[in-house]
Amino acid sequence: MTLRTAGPVIAVAALTLALPPALSSKQLSIYILLGLAALVTLGLSLLLGFAGQVSLGQASFSCIGGYTAGLLAVHGLPSMAGLLAAPVVAALFATLVGIPLLRLRGHALAFATLAMQLILLSLLSQADWAGGAIGLQGVPRLSIGGLEFAEDLSYAYLTWGAVAVALLLARNIVASRTGRGLRALATSEVAAAASGVPVGRYRLAVFALSAGFAGLAGGIYAFYLGYLSPGSFPVLLSIEYVVMAVVGGLGTLWGPLIGAAGIVLLVQVLNTLGTQPGMPSYAPSVLSYAVYAALLVLVVLFLPRGLAPVPRELAARWRGASSKPSLQEAP
Amino acid sequence: MSDFLQYLLTGLGIGCAFALVGSGLIAIYRVTHVVNFAQGGFAVIGGMCASSFLTAGLPHGVAEILAIAVAAAVGLAVGVVAIGRPGTSPRQGLIITLGLGILAYAAEVLIWGDQPRSFDGVPGATTLLGVRVPTQYLLIIAVTVLVFALLGLFFARTDVGKALSACAANPYAARLVGIGVTRMGLLSFALGGALGGLAGVLVSPVQQVTFDSDVLLIVNGFAAAILGALTRPILALAGGLLLGVAQTLVAGYGSGAHQTDVALALMLAVLIWQAARQPTVEEAR
Amino acid sequence: MSGPLIEASSLVVRYGAATALDGVDLHVRAGELVALIGPNGAGKTTLVNTLAGIVPPAAGTASVRGRLGVVPEGRQVFGSLSVDDNLRLGAWRLRGRDTSAIYELLPELVRVRRQAAGSLSGGQQQMVAVGRALMGRPEVLVVDELSLGLAPIVVASLAAHLRRLNAETGLAVLLIEQNARLALRLCTRGYVLESGRIAASGTSEELSRSADVVRAYLGGVPT
Repeated sequence: MTLRTAGPVIAVAALTLALPPALSSKQLSIYILLGLAALVTLGLSLLLGFAGQVSLGQASFSCIGGYTAGLLAVHGLPSMAGLLAAPVVAALFATLVGIPLLRLRGHALAFATLAMQLILLSLLSQADWAGGAIGLQGVPRLSIGGLEFAEDLSYAYLTWGAVAVALLLARNIVASRTGRGLRALATSEVAAAASGVPVGRYRLAVFALSAGFAGLAGGIYAFYLGYLSPGSFPVLLSIEYVVMAVVGGLGTLWGPLIGAAGIVLLVQVLNTLGTQPGMPSYAPSVLSYAVYAALLVLVVLFLPRGLAPVPRELAARWRGASSKPSLQEAP
Repeated sequence: MSDFLQYLLTGLGIGCAFALVGSGLIAIYRVTHVVNFAQGGFAVIGGMCASSFLTAGLPHGVAEILAIAVAAAVGLAVGVVAIGRPGTSPRQGLIITLGLGILAYAAEVLIWGDQPRSFDGVPGATTLLGVRVPTQYLLIIAVTVLVFALLGLFFARTDVGKALSACAANPYAARLVGIGVTRMGLLSFALGGALGGLAGVLVSPVQQVTFDSDVLLIVNGFAAAILGALTRPILALAGGLLLGVAQTLVAGYGSGAHQTDVALALMLAVLIWQAARQPTVEEAR
Repeated sequence: MSGPLIEASSLVVRYGAATALDGVDLHVRAGELVALIGPNGAGKTTLVNTLAGIVPPAAGTASVRGRLGVVPEGRQVFGSLSVDDNLRLGAWRLRGRDTSAIYELLPELVRVRRQAAGSLSGGQQQMVAVGRALMGRPEVLVVDELSLGLAPIVVASLAAHLRRLNAETGLAVLLIEQNARLALRLCTRGYVLESGRIAASGTSEELSRSADVVRAYLGGVPT
């Protein structure tokens, strides 16, 4: 890593370490949700940007992770086991479901992931052993070796720790030979297959990995909130993640962070606007949806590579770099 | 037995509505290769507008046709954003229509509120094969069959229809021959809008339309279109009917809560089976 | 209408940062058979697209006077439509749909007229592509890589059709070809396009005798 790339990383890391104690309780909870969203979006961005597959059901994996952690903890197992099991079970689920599902391509796959989430949510609402439509209540606090995570502050650090680990993992994968194979997958499956890339296995692996990230986020969410229901993981949440990934910039590592931060903060602003006296009760959610949607459309039309490349391009223009367009980087 | 027939007939009726929504998707995809995720919104707009126009005093017939026209106009607008700009790829178009669909959902709530709406369709019930079925269902079936027949003729026999198919088959050659590919794409979006609107107008009398209780219509319309590989209207019709009947049977003999799941699982099974029969690696669009 | 039917003057066409055509001058007059030969990637198809109005010039001009018909590289038929429909769509700009003249010219297509174009052999598809272009009653025909992927006997038959059309109706033809021997034999005049520039031009005789052309495109054997 050169100094130029290390610089922003160190700055952001320092910021995330220093920020939590300075935040109010409400801001802290937003911070935590932001981190969890970034975690899910990172996985989705890998899937979408590197393996080229559209998933409209990413929240299902968070749901599975959350319920795994929650159910294990509620039934008396050590909470750490629940937290570790969450990504594993989510990834396993993704692998099982992926074997038939990933035979589909493009829009058929997009729709199939949507269908998967709808079916999952519906089954979960009927499942009394998981609390049914009302959901799972009374998930105990996370505790690791006797140290209890009682305050929001600890969850904040936990969340961002998880994001850091995921980022490292993602970066290593992307930079490796596997990563090049993945990028080849995104541009042309036929060419990738011809070059010896095991297309089927890679697609499944990325799918499972992204599910693992989402599952971990779901697990942390379960312990943080102490309560889960199928309604916590609606289809529109999956679409939110897609918006975050696209707006932030697909196939980059900063993209998910920028996208998640941008959208979560925007939603907070809209919520405040929407709950002003005089606004109808459905105003907050409607405003949010309208803005996500508009944002998604505008970004796709005018900033197809998302926000992440913008700082670099602005810096290059400022430095007076030549106007000749450079070769496109990996998509 | 009469129970079964009743479920069958209502299932066929609702299945036809699914097929209509799906046919709009197909019309758009064939010409532009864009999967229109806003398709369900056209149906909702059609139903809502019809309800509003009727409440405002417009007579039956006029209100519905006007509602369909509005849906077609909305379809055109979606098309302009999704494909109007040269260089927008179909994958971008998909994501754009997804965004526009959500925008439409928000607009619908803002305009019509979040309460369900319905209006009276064809009144009364008819006795067919010894079973009493609300006549509206028979209207749905009749109109759908007519529309599909007309669509088939349109694509196969008329010059514009063939030009639309040409755009789908080879846009480069279509341009060489002087066909305005973007204009044809916009036409297909307007057509998709009209078909979706028609579905909404037909279904509202029997199933209340709200901004989200019509998820059934949207999801199943999609499923029907996908069963038709997004290009074959006849398969979509068959798929829609299958989905409709499966759902009413499950709701009637089993539990209403699972009807969509059964339909979705069925559709997934068919999709995967279709894909398994094609061993070649496909290019993503 | 006394100017050339096709005229390119200092034509420059770019794709992003790459320059596909770099100052090209050429012309085709009424009734002429003109060849454009050159290797892959020379910019031949870019020229076709510019003449057809699909790609705009970055500098210079490309003008077409009169009706242009294009037989694109790789046939590009409408695979899911019948031969008949393919031909009729060729007349899209004209509104006339009479295909009888084409079937007279290309009787081999009569037998398969109702078949989907995508199911035909390469040679038949090429005939469909030519017929489709002719349906627009063009005054000048641009043919991009007629011989690509086709058996020599089929190519010879198509070339004969083109020569007959030119003789009987005065149809001008710009024949764009990698197969230089074919192109120079069929046409009276030609250009050589290399890396976006005209490297040589002259009558077919002159080009066939030019040492450079012979070496690069005629396999070292002058025709």
